[in-house]
Amino acid sequence: MDTFLRAFTEGILLGGVYALIALGVVMVFKASKVFNLAHGGILVFLAYFTWWLLVPKGLPLWLALLMLILVSILFGLTLDRFIFRPLIGQTMLVTFIITLVLGFTVIPGLATLFWGGSPQVMHVFPSGSMTVGPVTFSYTFLFSFIIATALFLIFVFYFRYTKTGLLMRCVSEDNLISQSLGINVKWIFALSWVVGCLSAAIGAILLGTMFAVNSELGGLAIIHALPVVLLGGLESVPGAFIGALFVGLAETFAGTYVDPYVSGFRELMPYILMVLILMLRPHGLFGLKRIERI
Amino acid sequence: MLPGGVFNTKYESDVAILRTKTQWFLLALGVIFLFLLPLFAPDYWLSQLTSLAIVIVAVLGLHVLTGLCGQISIGHRAFVGVGAYAVAILTTRYEPFGAGLAWVWTWLCLPISALAAGLVGLIFGLPCFKLKGFYLAISTLAASYIIVWVFKYEGFSSVTGGFIGLPLDPLYIGGTSEEPFIDLSSRSAFYCLAVAVMILAAFLAKNLQRTSVGRAFVAIRDNELAAEVSGISIFRYKMMAFFIGCLFAGVAGWLWANSQLRVNPNQFSLLDSIWYVGMLIIGGWGSTSGVFFGATFLKLLEIGMTDYITPWLGDMLPSIKLQVHVATNIVQGLVIILFMMLAPRGLYYLWERLKIYYRLHPYAYWAR
Repeated sequence: MDTFLRAFTEGILLGGVYALIALGVVMVFKASKVFNLAHGGILVFLAYFTWWLLVPKGLPLWLALLMLILVSILFGLTLDRFIFRPLIGQTMLVTFIITLVLGFTVIPGLATLFWGGSPQVMHVFPSGSMTVGPVTFSYTFLFSFIIATALFLIFVFYFRYTKTGLLMRCVSEDNLISQSLGINVKWIFALSWVVGCLSAAIGAILLGTMFAVNSELGGLAIIHALPVVLLGGLESVPGAFIGALFVGLAETFAGTYVDPYVSGFRELMPYILMVLILMLRPHGLFGLKRIERI
Repeated sequence: MLPGGVFNTKYESDVAILRTKTQWFLLALGVIFLFLLPLFAPDYWLSQLTSLAIVIVAVLGLHVLTGLCGQISIGHRAFVGVGAYAVAILTTRYEPFGAGLAWVWTWLCLPISALAAGLVGLIFGLPCFKLKGFYLAISTLAASYIIVWVFKYEGFSSVTGGFIGLPLDPLYIGGTSEEPFIDLSSRSAFYCLAVAVMILAAFLAKNLQRTSVGRAFVAIRDNELAAEVSGISIFRYKMMAFFIGCLFAGVAGWLWANSQLRVNPNQFSLLDSIWYVGMLIIGGWGSTSGVFFGATFLKLLEIGMTDYITPWLGDMLPSIKLQVHVATNIVQGLVIILFMMLAPRGLYYLWERLKIYYRLHPYAYWAR
């Protein structure tokens, strides 16, 4: 029972981390129909940037965070203006390949070029762990879970009750019609990228504290976020959250119960889930099923 | 567009791969040049050209799958890995004809590794029953990771060699390994083999486009619904595209394993799969010649970056700790993105435009 409880808590907390990353992806997708595989790359870049500010430069935390926010806004605007705005109206596949190339070669490459690419350690959150009954977990996991939950609530609220949220949903439905209705599509796209990059920045701080900052981090993050997003359905914010918990649980249970027999099965779990979800329920649990017309 | 004064009066001439005598002559000249290269090219360029030829074989497979049938695969390098591992495992673990005829077994492994890659491709192509577009691309992305995991997995290390991988014996035909009848282990001999396979593969891919299967692929790519209504069994043809595409990858894997004489899991990373897709993009989707354009362009870019530009940059800016492969990756990635944004139809299309411009020369405005 203790093993089960431990795996369960760990799974839920891990799910929080995945939700954090997946929410950034869903956010961009909901507004601009771009499946953002570059999210992981951006995360690595920002994680290295934060480390650079905190450790070699020795800036105080608040200043570093402020600069991180500024840089991620700039990053989002640059991406939007120079890469994704010229591609408005292209098919999903084109933008998908572009984010793939960006996220797996260019952006992590830049991070490696600037900051060397060797693993680095930074501490933003208080380290240490707490024990509840038989279960022990570190504070960073708890923090990331709380932040992910908060972010999830903010996003749900944002899309449902604010005007820009409504505009985003409208633009994602059909950007041509939105434009003719007087919505500033370019601005909405830029906003979605800025929010996407900001959520990548949050992910960068959390993942960078939890694991060492290294260039593999981004690939890992995005690969774990993929089954989450697919399971939840690409457009669904609650779906991303629930999917994340499910995938986190699946991974820790696989780690606890299968790993003793098949070592390293845990790392394989996200890919297997990905293929299974795609085969069985491609539009996810809460996603919209597209009906094809001629 | 045909050169001035040449008209298609028969169906045969309309579908001919090589239309005019000049084309025949130029192709023959090109092939002879390729096979004469080992006489004067330095070793470094020969080995680069060998790997280019192998990459072209693999990308031709991707061209059948993606360029013709429209199913994006971001795991093609892993399928190449399946082919390479198939030959490595079979030649190191089994010796069905005894040590004296080991070379026969190595050559028999060529169709076997092609088939192995094809079958694995079929497994990961299965989701195309329900999926298309980028959902399918994600499932091939998963394939890339799963296959490499299997190569790395310690439980199978008695078969696959785990992280260390497997060694292979040099390739030869006839005789024994000490005194081979035809020795293919030298750089120039292997180069000739790779080029021969490349030409054969290009011929097959080009011909596939002219068969009913190839036309069905193109129909599926252009409009799936219309293709289905016209009586093309979508699932069957998509699976066939996966199978054929991965057959090419398997052959490329066989060549790769024999050229490197060692396989290990790190050779089959996702990054290379991305470059394969990039080659297809740079060359232009859907034309066999485009594969040659794209692969050559990206390879030359890589060589130019690693050999000339990054050392120079490193001298200029020693403060930036410049890692050669990273700068190369960034530039290659940016070039692919620029091509997608500015010239989505690729280099081959630009080349065709150039030819049309010169054929119409003083009246070039007609081409618009």
